Formats: sequence, structure tokens, C-alpha cells
Amino acid sequence: MIEFNINDRKVRAGQGWTILETARHYGLDIPALCYHESVAPSGACRLCMVELREGSWSRLVASCIYPVQQGINVYTETERVQNIRRWIFEMLLAACPASQEIKELAARYGVVSTRFPIHDPDQTCMVCGLCSRVCEEVVGLSAISTVDRGVHKKVSSPFLRPTDICVACGCCVSVCPTGAMQAIFDSVRGEPVMQLTQLTA
Amino acid sequence: MDAQANIGVFLCRCGDHIAPLIDLDALQKDIHKQANVVHSEICPFPCLKPGLEHINQMVVRKGLNRIIIAGCEGRLMLKKFEKELHLLDLHKGQIDMVNLRGHVAAVSALSPPENAVKAAKLLKASIAEMRVLAPSPQILAKIDGPVMVIGDGIAAFAAARELSRHNIEFFLATNTIEPEKVLRKIHHTYPGERQYYNRLEGIIREAVESPLATVLPFVKLAGLSGVTGDYTLTFEADWRELPRKYRAAAVIACLDAEMTPPGPEFGHDGQQVMIQPELEERFYQNGIPPGRTVFWLNDYEIEQPDFAQLSAVAAWNMARYIREHASKSQVVILYNQKLTIPLSAADRALNRKLGILWIPYDNAVRPTIQAGFITFCNLADHVEHELDWDYVVMSPVRVLGGESLRVAKILGLIHSEGRFITGHHAKVRPEMIGREETYLAGSARYPCDLHEALNQGQTAGLKTYQMIKKAAEGKLYVPRVICVVDPDKCVGCGQCQELCDCGGIGVEDGPGGGLPRVVDPMICTGGGTCAAACPYHALVLQNNSNDQREARVAALSRQMAQGEVVAIGCVWGGLPAADNAGKLGLTYDARVHILGVPCVGQIDPCVMARAFLEGAPGLILVGCIPGECHHSFGVDHAWSRVNVMKKLLTLAGFNRQRIALAHADLNKPAEFVKTVESFTQIIAGLGLIERNPANLEKLASIYELIKYNTRVRHLLSASLRRPWEASYRGEQRHALDYDRDFSAVIEEEFLQQRLLRLLEGERRPLRLQELAVSLKEDEVQVADCLWNLVTDGSINLSHQKREAFYSLIN
Repeated sequence: MIEFNINDRKVRAGQGWTILETARHYGLDIPALCYHESVAPSGACRLCMVELREGSWSRLVASCIYPVQQGINVYTETERVQNIRRWIFEMLLAACPASQEIKELAARYGVVSTRFPIHDPDQTCMVCGLCSRVCEEVVGLSAISTVDRGVHKKVSSPFLRPTDICVACGCCVSVCPTGAMQAIFDSVRGEPVMQLTQLTA
Repeated sequence: MDAQANIGVFLCRCGDHIAPLIDLDALQKDIHKQANVVHSEICPFPCLKPGLEHINQMVVRKGLNRIIIAGCEGRLMLKKFEKELHLLDLHKGQIDMVNLRGHVAAVSALSPPENAVKAAKLLKASIAEMRVLAPSPQILAKIDGPVMVIGDGIAAFAAARELSRHNIEFFLATNTIEPEKVLRKIHHTYPGERQYYNRLEGIIREAVESPLATVLPFVKLAGLSGVTGDYTLTFEADWRELPRKYRAAAVIACLDAEMTPPGPEFGHDGQQVMIQPELEERFYQNGIPPGRTVFWLNDYEIEQPDFAQLSAVAAWNMARYIREHASKSQVVILYNQKLTIPLSAADRALNRKLGILWIPYDNAVRPTIQAGFITFCNLADHVEHELDWDYVVMSPVRVLGGESLRVAKILGLIHSEGRFITGHHAKVRPEMIGREETYLAGSARYPCDLHEALNQGQTAGLKTYQMIKKAAEGKLYVPRVICVVDPDKCVGCGQCQELCDCGGIGVEDGPGGGLPRVVDPMICTGGGTCAAACPYHALVLQNNSNDQREARVAALSRQMAQGEVVAIGCVWGGLPAADNAGKLGLTYDARVHILGVPCVGQIDPCVMARAFLEGAPGLILVGCIPGECHHSFGVDHAWSRVNVMKKLLTLAGFNRQRIALAHADLNKPAEFVKTVESFTQIIAGLGLIERNPANLEKLASIYELIKYNTRVRHLLSASLRRPWEASYRGEQRHALDYDRDFSAVIEEEFLQQRLLRLLEGERRPLRLQELAVSLKEDEVQVADCLWNLVTDGSINLSHQKREAFYSLIN
């Protein structure tokens, strides 16, 4: 058993647990978007940042991928954490202004506006890649992936066309933290032939 | 493993997603009292490492052999739990998930205690299923021995070479093995590929001359039996000898499509107006044609636009060959404006150098062939122009035919006459499917060029090698959720084989021919519509059996109150739509109780009947959109079964609207909400089915009829849509006549079933009047029915004091 502190509270964790897992086990809330229990963490969204303090120095780490160590001091709600969290929320609000989910989560942490320029007011995807990780690790396929680089990076099937590899299981839609996959999904599986939802007579 | 089910239930708090919305303490107390529940507790997050380690400890400490996790979407999380608990001998099927977050907490406006009650209903249903589960042992797949590479396609040699490079013994059953002869014939299926011939020769030699190869020349496949790992292939008898049989662990079929000339409207004569393979043949026989050769890429006109690119490349290669070897010959390529020319920059440069003219024509005006001229509508000025020709070369019509079709049929690959074999497999996750690519290569799968065919052959060889290697290492297990045949019950009627779309049901050699009664576990996708269609319940979907589903539905139905609805969603349509509705926080009528199944096609009608017998006021099946069904026809089959249930409900005097089939698109959860809400409204209006003896008698009769009556089950099974049929309605006859006949049979059998039940219940001889009064049916009808039963020998007729008495045969 590894013993360490979260917010000055003594906690015990097993070998290989991450800070986020331990915190959730002890009922502490750390916000995270790109984290999903069904796949390995990737630390993409940086929302789960926590502060590690040792003596007079401190640093920020992504709690979802940071394995716990004996005797570390973790703080989840310090001014520094809150500050960085606010920044990240503001950046997310600028990057995907159309995402209702992000707006709600940001509002819960007191962020309602952004001071960064909004380039695409309809954008919902924050390109965390959770969908493609689920496709690979849970479904066992790679129908979608992030394509392009830098500011052009986006989630798509190969060549931006509907692909036969996709089995249309909808796992990506179910995990997407921003609701963006709902729109992308149809361009991956191809629009279903019939648009009907009806009861048989 | 113990036969006794020791169930552990883990309730997830899921941060603030479940705990504040469902009264988990009350729920846990309720669940803990259930039979077979050895352990239950509330965890903060069972899915995270701390939770998983705890579950592991509990499994060991309390000897749990079934786990139920009540949290979120099983579609996403089950794989992780299966992986983590695998070492404790808990496998797929022994772990179940109930989506409390998405189906209860997030979607209802109820108070936490009310939610706990609803959650308890769903959990008890899951417990009931787990109690019935008879887990199968993990079986190692055994695949060793030689591989059979069969077919005349060129891909056979690529597959054989790959096998020989990996030190695997193989049979090579192909007509021609001399490289020269193979190459001489290759243009029949792959025209315009001569620049690769010198490289092909090496592949063929390496395959044929391999010490691991046993070449079987000039043999004709006659039959296949057995399953993956143990196939027996029979080759047709020659006049000199008996049929030869070979045992093989795996079969790789390398088949090519045929190229045939287009119809007479294209003026094909094989001399001046020919198709691409014929031009290649001419190269061999008469050399390069002099004068002007016009290649007309008429793929759009012969309605095969998908293959236009292939034809264009072949045409360009041949045109290039002509220009490079006969500088006086002229070449023009006439192509439809819709075609994008598949040439690279280097190709285009070479094209300019060779002076090959590409002329696009207007798609709206069809070119015509006249003696010496071909007309086409110019794109630039929309004027019809003429082009004179000495030879016209057209694109071939690509079909699956002849020997390829015959072999494919024997191997069980064919599915729709004349169509290519690809895309016929169920569209499910990789862990569920067989290995299409390992046993099929070549242009019969889908028209392709030579390079692609060789690639497919190589891949098939490689995948087969990997499979054999994995099996040899003891890492290849037989999939858990597959159909198995109970040989004691199976009569070999073959309904399942006709219905099966994955091709997993094979024949077993026996006296008087093969009986379709073995399931190839490595091919079966676990769709289960075959199992639900079996008239004798001889086909069982292992670890996901009909008994399990029946137990689950029955347990849930028993708890249903006025206006409550059992909804069964398939894991590709209804269930994810419900999950996503929960994720989006859409609220819908809390009276909807959702269960998940892999495919609505695996719901036996007796499960539907059981739901009503146990007291469900309404049952709705929510499948995929028709045509999008992942198990091909599951949703169509469900339609037929629901339809029979509707007929039976009407016969028994209940409202037929109590059961319905609906469709859901997982990406449109709002539509799903509309569907279930509308159905719940209907059911709320209808009220409960009153639990009086008369109604219970009828419901029990429906259940017994649809579960045990083989005549009705045979008829139902025969009326289901076959994979090769365009629709599920019996098209061979007048629809209304057919329906009336079917209804008449059901009516007759229903009354018989009720009479038999009554006689069984009373245990004494009864008079006609007594029977008719007791069933509240017309005396004449009952008399008819009784006479049928007597002549069948199902019941006894005896006379006492000049009165007829009917009784069961002891």
C-alpha cells in the first residue's frame, strides 16, 4: 500500500493507481473530459490538473496519468489549480463554443466567458481523441482517428469518407464528452438508408 | 466450476451521476435478499483500479461465479471487466451490466426511492438471468494440419507461397500449375496486366516447388464437411477411381470472377468489337491490331460504374502496350464524363509521349456503335461527333459464375445469386466475426486488379498462419457466445442452415448424405436468429441462451405494474439509443424498462409470450433500422415473430397493440424517446391484462403453443426471410391467401393447445359440452378440433352411458 496525501487528507492506494483513480475512490471530484473508464488514459484535455507540493516548490500534473507515489502531497483545489483550470476552460470555450456539455461543465466551475478569439462558432469537437481510443481499444477497430496536424487536426474516418470498417456500434457517440461525435458519426458510418422510426401497425 | 450460482452485485455510485439520484442503500438492501445473491455492496467506482481490485478480492473471498455491475453502459465497459476478471475464471457471459445511470438515473424525473424501485426491477431481472446461466467451459481451438488452398484464381499461388514461407503444409488444388500455362490464361480474368508477368512466374514456381506442397491437379471439389480445424474435402470421382477425401485444418478459396461480353445492344462480335480479355487473346494469336483501336469504357452503360476505374487502368495498360510495340497503330480511349482518369502524373507524362487520346463524352447521350463509326456527344460543344474505328474494345461485364460459383456454393460462401461474395458477413465487432479474409481471395470476392488479388491471397495465407500459430501456442479460444447443436433434439431439418447468414452451420457426414447439424464455432457470429427459429429448440446460443432471456424477461414482467412497459433493445439500435438518451439527459416516461439483447432476431416468440404470461402489460422490441441490421435479417425475423404474436393475442381476445416492433437509430436518441413514449401511452390506455383464470389459461396456452408446438414453429420458421430473398413476406404465394392460411393453422393449433391444457388440468374424462363451456368456445368448432385430436391419437375417446368422453392418453 502506498500512502500519500490528497488535500492534506491521508489516503492509501495500490500499486499502479493514478491520482485521479485514488481521488475518485475517496469521493473527491476532479473534472476531466478526455478520461473514460473503458480505455487507457491519455492526458489530452489537461482539465484534471492537480498540484503536487514538496517543501517550497510545486508543480502541476495531469492526475489521470500520474501514478501515485509514497508520500506525495496532492492538492486538487488550490489557487494555482483553479487558475489553470479556468484557463483551460476558457480555451475550451473558445475552441468549441457550440458544445453544450463544455459550457455546462465550465459554468459549474464558474467560467462562463472566454477572452480568447473564437474562430469557429459552430465547433463542438475539442479533438481529445477519446473516440478513436474507444474505437481501437473497446471495439477493436480503427474506423476513426485524428487526421491532420496542429490547428487543422480533426476527427474523421480515412479520407473523410464513410468507411466500411465502421460497424456503426456508436461507442464513440456514447463516450464523446462534448457531443461532437453525434455530428461526425454519420459521416463515418454513412447515413442510414432509411430514416424511419415507427411502430408497426 | 460450481453449478450453483454465486452472484455478486456491485452498485456503482458513479460520482454524482448515480448516488444522489437513486437511493442506493434501499436498493442494496432489496437486492441482498434475493436468492443466490451472495454478496452485494455499493462501490464508489467499480470500474477504476481500486474498485477492480476490490471486486477481485471479493470474488476470491466469497467464491463468486457471476458478477453483476450496476453502473453504466455495458457496451463500453464490459470488455474491461472481462479482461480484468478473466484470470479468476470469470468469462464473457458471467459478467453482466445494468445501466442504472443511462436507463434510470439520468432519464427519469422520479425521486431517489422511486428510482431505486425501478432499478431493483432491472437488477432482479439480471439476477434471474444469471441464475439460469450455464456457463460453458473455455475451450481451446484446435487447428493443426495441412491447409487446403483451392481454386483456379491466381491468388492461390500467393496464398500458397505465404504458407510455404511460414513452414505450413498445404494442398494446392488447382487445374494448372505450369507457370507458362497459368500466365497464358491470366488475361481471362485480369486483362491489361502483362507488365507484371515476369514477377508472377517467381511466385508460382516458389509455391508449386515448395517441399511442403502437395499439388492436386485436375480435381473438382464435390463437398465440404466439418468445422474449422477439421475439414474434410471431397473431390469428385474420376472415371478411374473413387472420390478422394482430404482432411484440412483450414480452407483458403481463391476464386476469380468471370468476364463476359455485354449484351447485343453493344454490337459485340468478338472479332472487330470485343471486350478487353479478347483483345489480350488477340495479342497472343494475331499480334497487335493495325489501324485505329478505340477503347470504349462503357462501365456506366453496362451498369457497373464501380468497376470503371479497373477497366480504365486495364484499357490504359493495353493502349500503352499497343503504342509501345506498334508505333503505326492509333489508340483512342473514350470515357464517360463521370469517370476520373486514374493516372498518376508520371503516367500522364508517358501518355502524352505515347500520344494516346482520351476523349470524354456526355453521360446524357449514350454512344452508339455503327459499322466503322462510333458516335458520342462531345462535352465541349454538345454536338454529336463520330469517331471511326478499326477495332472497338469495351469493358467486360464482371459476374460471378461457372466454376467459381459452384465452388463458392460448396464452401458455403455464396449468399445471393450472381452477386459478389464480399459484404455478406454480419457487420459486427471483430471479436464476434469469423475470418472472411482468411478463406477467400481473388476477384470473386469483389472485382479487383491483379495486385489486389495477390495481396488478398498473401493476406489469407498470413492470417491462416497466424491462426494456426496462435492455436499451437494455446492462445486461441473458441468464442463464448456461439450456437451449439443438441444432437439429441436435432432432426436435421435444415431450417437453421437456410436462415443462417454467417454461414456457420455446416453439414455432418452421415448415412444418406450430410445433415446440417454442426456449427463452426470460428465462423458463428452469435446472431442467434437460427436458434430462435429452431422448431425443436435443438440449437442453443451458448452463454446467451433462450432460457436465460426467458428468465430475465419473466422476472421483469412479473414486477410490472399498470402501464409499465418492457422494452427490449438490440445492442446496435435500441440499446445505444437508450444509452445516448441517458447521456444527453433526455427524460422519458419512467414506466419504460429497458433490457438489452445482441440482436432482436434472437428473441424466440416464446419469450414474448412468456412476458405476457408473467404479467407484462406491453412489450416493445426496438431493433436496428431495416436494412441496417448488423446480423443481416434479425430485425426482419423479429417482425415475423411479433406478427405471429399479434395473431395469437387477437385470437385469444387481447389487444394486438400490446406488442410492437420498432426501429431506432442510435444517433437519434430523441426519436427513440418518441417511440417508447408513444408505445407507453398506448399501453397505459389499455391497462393491465386482468389476472383471472380465463385470461391466464389463454396466455399459458399461447406460451405453450409457441414454445412446444412444432407445426407452428416450423411454419413460422419457414416464413422467415432467407438471406437470398428480397423481402420477408412469402412471395411465392398470394400474400393475403398466405396470411389467411397461416392464421387458420394458428387458430386450429391454438384451440387444440387449449383443449389439451384443459384435459391435463382436469385429469378426468370430460364431455364436449363441458369443454366448450369451460373454454367459452363454439361447440361445433370444439367438436371438430376434438375429432382431429382423436384421429391424431393425441387424446382418447371413450363412451359411458352413450355419451362421449374425452381424456388424455396416459
